[in-house]
Amino acid sequence: MRRLHHVITAAALAATFAGSAYGARGLTVKGSDTMVILGQRWAEQYMNANPGRIIQVTGGGSGTGIAALINGTTEICMASRPMKADEKRKLRDRYQSMGVEIAVAKDGLSIYLNEQNPVKELSFEQLRDIYTGAITNWKQVGGSDAQIVLYGRENSSGTYVYFKDNVLLGRDYSARCQTLPGTAAVVNAVAKDPNGIGYGGAAYAKGVRDCAVKKDASSPAVLPSAATIKDGSYPVTRDLYLYTRLKPAGEAKKFIDYVLSTEGQSLATQVGYFPIR
Amino acid sequence: MEDSVTRFIRSAALGLLVAATAPAMVRAQEATTPPADAAQKVEEVHGRLEGMNEQVQTLVTDVDKLKKFKLSGYIQARWETSENKSDSVRVTGTPPTVTPANTERFYIRRGRLKMTYDSSPLSQAVVYFDGGTDRTIRLLEAYVTLLDPWTTLHKHALTMGQMNVPFGYEIERSSSVRELPERSRAENVLFSGERDRGVKLVSQWTPQFETVVAVMNGGGVNQPDFPNTDPTRAKDIMGRARFSQGTVDAAVSYYDGKNVTPLTGPDVSTDKTRFGADAQVYYALPVVGGGSLRGEVYGGKEVNPDSVRTMTSTSSASPRLLLSGAEPSHFATDFLGWYAMWVQNLGEKLQVAARYDVYDPNTDLDLDQFERVSVGLNWFYDGFTRISVSYDAPTTRPNPSGSARFNAASPAARPSDPADNLWTVQLQHKF
Repeated sequence: MRRLHHVITAAALAATFAGSAYGARGLTVKGSDTMVILGQRWAEQYMNANPGRIIQVTGGGSGTGIAALINGTTEICMASRPMKADEKRKLRDRYQSMGVEIAVAKDGLSIYLNEQNPVKELSFEQLRDIYTGAITNWKQVGGSDAQIVLYGRENSSGTYVYFKDNVLLGRDYSARCQTLPGTAAVVNAVAKDPNGIGYGGAAYAKGVRDCAVKKDASSPAVLPSAATIKDGSYPVTRDLYLYTRLKPAGEAKKFIDYVLSTEGQSLATQVGYFPIR
Repeated sequence: MEDSVTRFIRSAALGLLVAATAPAMVRAQEATTPPADAAQKVEEVHGRLEGMNEQVQTLVTDVDKLKKFKLSGYIQARWETSENKSDSVRVTGTPPTVTPANTERFYIRRGRLKMTYDSSPLSQAVVYFDGGTDRTIRLLEAYVTLLDPWTTLHKHALTMGQMNVPFGYEIERSSSVRELPERSRAENVLFSGERDRGVKLVSQWTPQFETVVAVMNGGGVNQPDFPNTDPTRAKDIMGRARFSQGTVDAAVSYYDGKNVTPLTGPDVSTDKTRFGADAQVYYALPVVGGGSLRGEVYGGKEVNPDSVRTMTSTSSASPRLLLSGAEPSHFATDFLGWYAMWVQNLGEKLQVAARYDVYDPNTDLDLDQFERVSVGLNWFYDGFTRISVSYDAPTTRPNPSGSARFNAASPAARPSDPADNLWTVQLQHKF
């Protein structure tokens, strides 16, 4: 029994040492590319207000952030979609916890079109048909006679998953869809391609035109704007999340409290997102 | 792997871009360059960029194909020491065998490599190898999964090949995430090897409710005759229904088949029925961390391990006959196994676990059951590596002579509880 006691004591000391070395690197926040600019702004302002604190914010996609949360390489995960059941199961296997989900902002998912594209509005059904490959020519949705060029995100992206689940209703993307490593890359591609179409956070829509979206054929076409996203009339809106493994404590709690504060939420508005409350 | 491939492509593209544009930019800055030449250079650079863009697109297409391929696995290296360790290891018999086994040793419990290929959104193939304890590489799993095309979220999946038997909570959990080194004795006896060949249908009816039905050979991968014969000559069927709320999960399992014991002469066919129920409750303690309480029960009718004592040989290669007085109908007996387990995380790096498990191979007999207390401590060194220390204290009841069903064949009575408590130190890396 004394032997067991020694083993446990040694392991606890080693774990404490390892834990403190880990914490010395500061708080890490990783995940959604959609949220990376917002996360960096939150971190900058938080560090300005709290000198000596270090918060590292990196992207990689919601899936990558959630994987990092599970394997312990980040304390906070940014995600532009809710965690999937199998991700929660993996987290529970390791930490006996399903994680803590904190909605921190609202986002509208814009449909980007090139400035020269004459198409002004698309319904969910048309978007679904375009991205699954059933519609391949702009002429079929009131545009010019040209092949539609699809741009999208990688499957580690929360935006990819959100768009697939909510617009494509779970159907698979057309094999012709070109996957790009970030929303900025999608915007850039559509800005240069007169026949291109892409999707991504409303905050990124620079140099491209937003397409008005109709939930169904009889619904009004709505453009993404602060008012339409906040009141929910724009049909492609979503919550953005921070995830922690356990109930936030220490530095993580202080940072999340800041994010949810009036100041943090106002920063979300400045970056192009919308307050959660 | 995906991240590193993406980074490689980005770096390669950036490198090409810089290499191509830097000389042109330097030249463009030369004040003496005539405008006509400059326009030509710009055109040239533009052409190069277009060419590189095509190359990058080709690379991206190729990498997208590679991304469908996933490699994962884990290694469990162990040191264990048992109370019954001995320095009197002897080589005896023909063919020579080592008696007793050395039970203070370093060894590789599991060394596994899993390759998954997501061929399309509707199909997947998996090949899974183990190069662990027996020093040879063996096929652990190999199966093809088809997802249904008629539901948008592909709620039904049909799998055929060699895979886990869909019964109980312990089997479906990977050994790489288990809190104690080994599963319960009941699971080890009833589902030795955990895998079999067959077909299964998994249906996710709601996010909380899932069912699995399967038809399998029934012998399992550790059955002596596997995989050349189907020892039951009729397929075994099984099913599992699980409700998963998140903090409370519960499931029931059912298995129905026949067990054929090959003899020299007419074989003996007996019922093989198994019922299972399991539940897990999760909670969080402030400051301390998450924890869970788990329990599982196995019951039914199964060939009693003692039945082999009623035969002249355990191998089908040599004459296998019933000993005088042995009753074939007594091969299968009612069994009962269960365990209760507690797991508590201490912060994010440490975890303790304790389990009490019981297996009674013949409920008609008293004092023949196996009991074990296991405790373990896990230290999560980093996101991929875990160091575990565990202690198992099994209690094996003596087999009473005179009242046992199988004593007609004079089975050797087990000695009183052997000194076989076991310490295990394990280093695991999962990738």
